[in-house]
Formats: sequence, C-alpha cells, structure tokens
Amino acid sequence: MVIQIILLCGLVIFSGLAILLRDLIKAALSLAVASLFLGLIFFRLGAPYAGVFEISVVAGLITVLFALTIALTKKEDEVQENRLVKVIFPLFFILFLVIDGLVMKSLLTKVPALPSAPEGGSFGLVLWKQRTFDLVAQVGVIFAGVLAVLALFRKTGKDEEKDE
Amino acid sequence: MSNLWFLYLFFSALLIFIGLYCLLTMRNLIRLFIAVEIISKGVSLAIVATGAVKNSVLLAQSLAITYIVVEVSLVATALALIINIYKKNKSLDVRILSKLKG
Repeated sequence: MVIQIILLCGLVIFSGLAILLRDLIKAALSLAVASLFLGLIFFRLGAPYAGVFEISVVAGLITVLFALTIALTKKEDEVQENRLVKVIFPLFFILFLVIDGLVMKSLLTKVPALPSAPEGGSFGLVLWKQRTFDLVAQVGVIFAGVLAVLALFRKTGKDEEKDE
Repeated sequence: MSNLWFLYLFFSALLIFIGLYCLLTMRNLIRLFIAVEIISKGVSLAIVATGAVKNSVLLAQSLAITYIVVEVSLVATALALIINIYKKNKSLDVRILSKLKG
C-alpha cells in the first residue's frame, strides 16, 4: 500500500510539473517520468503488458515526438502565459483535493460498476478472441494516423516553388 | 479492496483535474497537448485500476492497450498539425487561431 501511494504521488507530482515548468523540453521530460510511474503502477496492478506499452510507447515514442515538435517550433518570443494561472493553481488543486476526498468515497458506493467476477484464460486469449473487433479498429486508427501525417506534410505547389 | 479502488480513482480524478485546468487556462499549443496527455493518463489509470479491483484485469489491460494505440495515433496527427500551424502563423499561441473565424 505504501509503495502504491508513493508511485501515485510521483505520478501526480510529475504531471503537475509538466504543466508548471516554463521550459517545454523539461515539461515533456517530466511527462515521460510520469508515464514511467504509471507503467510501474500497471505492473503492480498485475497488468504487465499495459505497463510495457505505457513505458515503451508513451514514455519513449511520444516523448521523442514531443521533443521533435518542440525543436522544430522553437522561437525567441515564446508564448506568454498568464502569471496568475500558475499562482492560483495550488489553491484550486487543494480545493479539488478536498472535494475529491469528500465526494469520491460516496460516489463509489452509489455508482454501479462492473460486476466482480473472476476471469479465466490468458491475456492473449482475451485480446484475440474477446476483443477482436478492437484489434481491427486499432489497425484502422493507425492507418488513419499515417495518412493524416502524410497529408499534413505533403508538398504543395508553393513549397516546390520555394525549393527551386 | 474498496479502499484501494478509492485510492486509484482519487488519484486519477486528480490527474484529470490537472489536465483540465491546463486546458482551460494555458495558451501554448504544445502545453495544451501535454494537458490532453495528462488527462489520458488519468483515464487509463482508472480503466486498469477498476479492472484490477473487479477481477477483470485481462480485459482492462486489453482496453488500456487499445487506448494507448489510439493515443499514439492522436499524438502523431496533432503534433503534425501543430507544426503546420506554426509554419503558417510563426507562433504557438492558441489565441491567434481565433482569426480563423469566418
């Protein structure tokens, strides 16, 4: 229980840092550390495959994509954020912490959730037999993403004229 | 087990709050997208924790993996879009995009 609380606190602290840090690269790195904590939590919850995906894809690949985008869009005059936003964040955070603590417990008893029943078989069986349609949808989503990126980076007539 | 469920959902609600606060108050497009990522972390934590508590961890795990794949596709597309917006406007300020209105 103590380790889980430490991991959850680490996750929330690094997520908070990701929005509070001024430097975007540091923000992206702290998001990656938060993903690492989330992956470790998944391992502790008995979901190793989700943990591996979280660490390799979200903490690795997405951080690289963020770093690339930040490098490609770097400019001297950064976007000025409102200073008040960061000052009042702790106030709102503590307020939400109190409300969350008061409401969540009673909410859990009132909201009907999934029926608790032990499941048999292996992860592969569940993924390939029960959630086959999800896999088809995943392939579709990946293709849609690839096509969208290709469409966004295609060269237009103006770009070709500039190159010449 | 109920206490454990409460703990995980409590922290996932905190993550969603941090993300929503950033989405509502900040102006940098990349930072807004970092907020979307934080919200998605909260949601995937809620999915896996609920699965683990309700003895359906295999199903929850497969849903979390599907969610991560969708998230990666979303990130790739959105970051490409952000680069294009930057090329056009030379700024990442979200207020400049309001000029798009008819």
